[in-house]
Amino acid sequence: MELFLPIAHMDVNIVLISLYGVLVGFLSGLVGVGGGFLITPLLIFTGIPPIVAVSSGAAQMAGTASGASYLHWRHGNIDFKMGLILLTGSWLGAGFGVYLAKVLLRAGQFGNVVVFLYVILLGFIGVSMLIESLQAVIRASAPAAGDAHATAAPRSLLRTWMQRLPWQTEFPVSGVRMSAVGPLVLGAAVGVMTSLMGVGGGFIMVPVMIYVLKMPTKIVVGTSLYQLLFTTAAVSVMQAGVNHSVDPFLALILILGSVLGTKLGARLGARLPAEKLRLILALVVVAVAVKMIATLVVPPSEIYDMTIELR
Amino acid sequence: MTRRLRCLFLAWAWMLQTPSWADEPLVVAPQSSQVNITTDFAGSDLKAIGAMDGPGDLIIKVVGPQQEATLSREVQLGPFWVGGDTVKMEGAPSLLFLYSTAPIASILPPAEREKYALLLEGVPVRIEPQLTAHAADDWRKAFFRLKERQGYYHENDRAIRVFGNRLFIADMRLPGDLQIGTYTVETLLVKSGKVVGHNVGNFRVRLSGIERWVWNAAHEHSWLFGSLFTLAAMVLGFVLNAIPYRRR
Repeated sequence: MELFLPIAHMDVNIVLISLYGVLVGFLSGLVGVGGGFLITPLLIFTGIPPIVAVSSGAAQMAGTASGASYLHWRHGNIDFKMGLILLTGSWLGAGFGVYLAKVLLRAGQFGNVVVFLYVILLGFIGVSMLIESLQAVIRASAPAAGDAHATAAPRSLLRTWMQRLPWQTEFPVSGVRMSAVGPLVLGAAVGVMTSLMGVGGGFIMVPVMIYVLKMPTKIVVGTSLYQLLFTTAAVSVMQAGVNHSVDPFLALILILGSVLGTKLGARLGARLPAEKLRLILALVVVAVAVKMIATLVVPPSEIYDMTIELR
Repeated sequence: MTRRLRCLFLAWAWMLQTPSWADEPLVVAPQSSQVNITTDFAGSDLKAIGAMDGPGDLIIKVVGPQQEATLSREVQLGPFWVGGDTVKMEGAPSLLFLYSTAPIASILPPAEREKYALLLEGVPVRIEPQLTAHAADDWRKAFFRLKERQGYYHENDRAIRVFGNRLFIADMRLPGDLQIGTYTVETLLVKSGKVVGHNVGNFRVRLSGIERWVWNAAHEHSWLFGSLFTLAAMVLGFVLNAIPYRRR
């Protein structure tokens, strides 16, 4: 079944695009990751122009995150003070990223930059997940001695450094006190990633909030989802406004697919052991990273490439 | 088949009606003047039908609207192949089909061929920024190679069928990813190395229905479109996710 995408200006197979949505939703239901970092590469492999893939991916995430954010809000899991500071940072970062995308598009280099960023990102996520999940699988079979002491030193160094920054603020919902500069910078970094790569950035946001900002896990999940919702929404609006690159048909198919996939994944995830699931996801991420690396290191059969100006 | 016969009959009847055309060496029936890109568009078949005044060869040239393309060249940087320099190619048609009843080189001498611009690689292309002749040539060659490989520039000496040295039908297959705009169809009748009949027609390719609406909204009211669509996506996700959950 073919569908002509008005913004990407090409025809795609609806079934294939829905499957991408289902797959990503399935993974997020299964292991709780957003999965934006898988949708963008898959769309690019299909031939969707990278800027359309990134922008429509942001619209898709705004769609899928709204339901979940609402539930967290009802359960009181959102630290709005923290969330607003994160959002201020990520909106600034996102605005910068959208204009950077425009400059790169004009120079004809946007696609290259995206692929390169993805190789670094997926390589990093894939390898760290692989190590972590292999450790978990091994630990589950043989009880080993704790090795938490080894990583404690650099973390406390970072914390003392953070305590010297200005604008020390109390965050009563999370029960922490820290400089507002920390979440502002974190938000900005994630905002740039959302607009250049079409990812929500939960994989950076969540560990930093838990281990560096020392926030309670429950609040971290709700607050990062809240941040993700309004950052991806802002990126979607800005990409549409500045680069005319949000394809509504593409985003809608992905939303429908991922909602279905999330339900399937959540149902199956309750029955499968968590560490094995993480291992599966790590392998998927590594596979995508390897495919992207291949596009960079395998000598191309045609060194020229043509991009048609989308008017 | 009945449709094809009907087309032939109509073309013939239409020619008989107008006596002054009896003197014309070449008559081409107007094509459908519009190709609409709808939601299920994945390419289109177009026919050109006409008549000629006796044995001869035919050439049909289809030229798409001009298109601006950015060409990039990968360079090796350590172990990586990354995008290196880029140039803009301007002024070249988005599509160029040359259909004929025999290889064009065998029916027209080079001078005539050049006069009527019947060479795939003969279209004028401006390269931005300006380069030395040698460097520009590499880019130009790559441009034509990519256009031919993607099926936008091609030559075919079998696509025109001639019936009884009088009537002809050409079948043209347009790809799915078409540039919007006006396409010209030029038909030439060739006898003993000379062009003796010439006809020019055109058709428009446009987005239609919801495709057109979305395109216009996204380009003319981009901020409003972005805001409303994002809001709609959020509401849709909310409805699909939260409400069934609450009921449980």
